[in-house]
Amino acid sequence: MAILSVEHSDQLYWLGRYSERVYTTIKEFAKRFDSMIELREHDYDEYCKAQDIPNIYSSKDDFIKRYCFDESDPNSIHANLIRAYDNAVVLREEIGSETLAYIQLAIYAMNKAKSSDAPLIQLQRVVDNIVAFWGMADDSIDSESVRSLIKLGKRVERIDLYARMNMGHSELKRELKRLNTRIGRTGLRYSSVKLAHLNYLAEMENTPKDMIIEEIESLFDEDINTLDGK
Amino acid sequence: MNKEGMNSYSDTVNELLARYGVRFGIYKNGTFKEQLFPLDIIPRKIGQKEVEYLEKGLKQRVMALNEFIKDIYGEKKIIRNNVIPEEFVYMGSGYLAQCEGVCPAKEIYTHISGIDLVQAKDGQWFVLEDNLRIPSGASYPMIARDICRKSSPAIFEKNAIYENRNYAKMLRKAMDHVNVGGHTVILTPGRYNAAYFEHSYLAEHTGAHLVTGNELVVENDHLYFVDYSGRKEKVGAVYRRISDEYLDPMNFNSESVIGIPHIYDIYRKGNVSLMNAPGNGVADDKGIYYFVPEMISYYLDEEPILHNAPTYLPFYEKDMKYVIENFDDLVLKDVAEAGGYGVVFGQGMTKDEKERFISMLKKEPRRFIAQEVIDFRDIDIFEDGEKVPRKADLRAFVLMAEEPMVWKSGLTRFSRNPDSFIVNSSQGGGFKDTWVLENDLSPTIL
Ligand SMILES: Nc1ncnc2c1ncn2[C@@H]1O[C@H](COP(=O)(O)OP(=O)(O)OP(=O)(O)O)[C@@H](O)[C@H]1O
Ligand SMILES: [Mg+2]
Repeated sequence: MAILSVEHSDQLYWLGRYSERVYTTIKEFAKRFDSMIELREHDYDEYCKAQDIPNIYSSKDDFIKRYCFDESDPNSIHANLIRAYDNAVVLREEIGSETLAYIQLAIYAMNKAKSSDAPLIQLQRVVDNIVAFWGMADDSIDSESVRSLIKLGKRVERIDLYARMNMGHSELKRELKRLNTRIGRTGLRYSSVKLAHLNYLAEMENTPKDMIIEEIESLFDEDINTLDGK
Repeated sequence: MNKEGMNSYSDTVNELLARYGVRFGIYKNGTFKEQLFPLDIIPRKIGQKEVEYLEKGLKQRVMALNEFIKDIYGEKKIIRNNVIPEEFVYMGSGYLAQCEGVCPAKEIYTHISGIDLVQAKDGQWFVLEDNLRIPSGASYPMIARDICRKSSPAIFEKNAIYENRNYAKMLRKAMDHVNVGGHTVILTPGRYNAAYFEHSYLAEHTGAHLVTGNELVVENDHLYFVDYSGRKEKVGAVYRRISDEYLDPMNFNSESVIGIPHIYDIYRKGNVSLMNAPGNGVADDKGIYYFVPEMISYYLDEEPILHNAPTYLPFYEKDMKYVIENFDDLVLKDVAEAGGYGVVFGQGMTKDEKERFISMLKKEPRRFIAQEVIDFRDIDIFEDGEKVPRKADLRAFVLMAEEPMVWKSGLTRFSRNPDSFIVNSSQGGGFKDTWVLENDLSPTIL
């Protein structure tokens, strides 16, 4: 029987979130990187704005180096990957050594990318390992709540990121639909009022980004007033 | 296997170790670092006859040690009969007054024992130490075997080697045997513990839950695991990988934040099993080690099968004299230390250091033991494409359920340094798989 502590359910959820953050931000970065090669020096300005992270970078090169690889920059992709690892490494018996290994491999790939002249190739390996991690988790974890918690984290993070990046209306709607089917299988308490509100917001043509972010980030707050009672 | 073959086998194996994060942690200058635990591909091989001998000797030793702990916290016959002087029992840091009169489930104290052995050049085995508190290391040969079988199936096809991945099953058996009803958990201090990899690996393979202290509570005289939905699940056995002093702030070190308040109270009532039993330190003290052969005769009325390294207790005047006269030939150990710290060889000291050490010895004779240096066997390791001999010891594991069970494998640690006898991982050593062969030693490829 799968019994989970609060700590582990939390860690599973955040493992889902950080793995998704690494995945989506690398993909987004890769898109921009191409345009930055010979194009405008300050393209990263826009990127930071879209990602809602402070622009602390002094040049294009500085941005590439630190945003991707500086572990001490809390907004860097590397820092987020380490957070994913920190959650994964304490979940060995929940997710299994085989699944955990892919996060470990992503870390190695990230370290290689750091010292590479063509970081995109190595960053692609990071993405490959994240995707393999998800696949292995889905395939090998018996407990539905364990699997669902990772997936829920992934969905929540994606909705948050898509809202920040002003991703299209239909993408957001798709992710919300997946969230709706997943959330009940986790055993987590959530606010059904907020979920209903999110569904409503996603229907609007000009999706109000800030409201979506606020609602998704407080979906699991402690003092929630759920429709389904206590 | 030729050199190229060995090179590529070694690379594959170490790559897989990295993939699975096989590490141990160390603290250097106050910060936590994890390093890979290097595996050497040449295994230690133990033949059938030899393993039968070791098996008998190890079972005997652990039975006697278990009896000893029971006696010390109970009747104390061995002291009353003057077999062991009481100052050796009560002055050691491992003796816990709180354990007086407490008897664990099925009278088992030593659920998991790690007995450190070396084999002298003439083939004779010597026990160097009995680890009865939290012996670690079994997970490394388990995962190494798994990886090696994948990396070179041919080797395992051609050699009849006992399975060692059954350690998890044996451990589970030992857990179930003393479980008083409820779940079994492995209690870890957390991921910044040196052996965290092992804790999580054993949890995965035994199916026990890996927990930290704050995930367990004592309520109504029972131990519970609190589920994320708020449900409370009873726990019947705790394989705890935190030491006695941190186990329960209400009964031991009150500063402990990794323990569980009142767990010791309910253990005393028999409402949960703790593996290993608190208070075992009284028997794995390096000073008490000296008396293990006597214990075997005393409790079991048998001749000891395994030998201690010849050991002297400066506490006895006669021994003190011998130690001072033969200082250069001896190894000295601080009884309160572990992990290879506090182990010094007389030979390596300057005149000044010797004098200082001897005056310390005279001041605190109970604090040290001295042993003849055993010129133990080298085993080849594969380094930079060559086979070179290095000192290696063996930690054998004995688990207790209905009967003591000896694991047909073990952790072989070796020194990376050609001139050193110290094999501890915290001192930079590596490890080998330990093969127990189903036949007697026959020529094998590796
Ligand atoms: N009598 C001896 N002769 C030769 N080498 C020895 C002797 N005693 C100890 N050593 C070497 O020193 C190492 C550490 O010794 P010992 O096991 O007694 O110390 P320890 O600090 O308890 O280490 P650990 O707790 O890690 O086992 C042994 O593994 C062995 O390599
Ligand atoms: Mg030892």
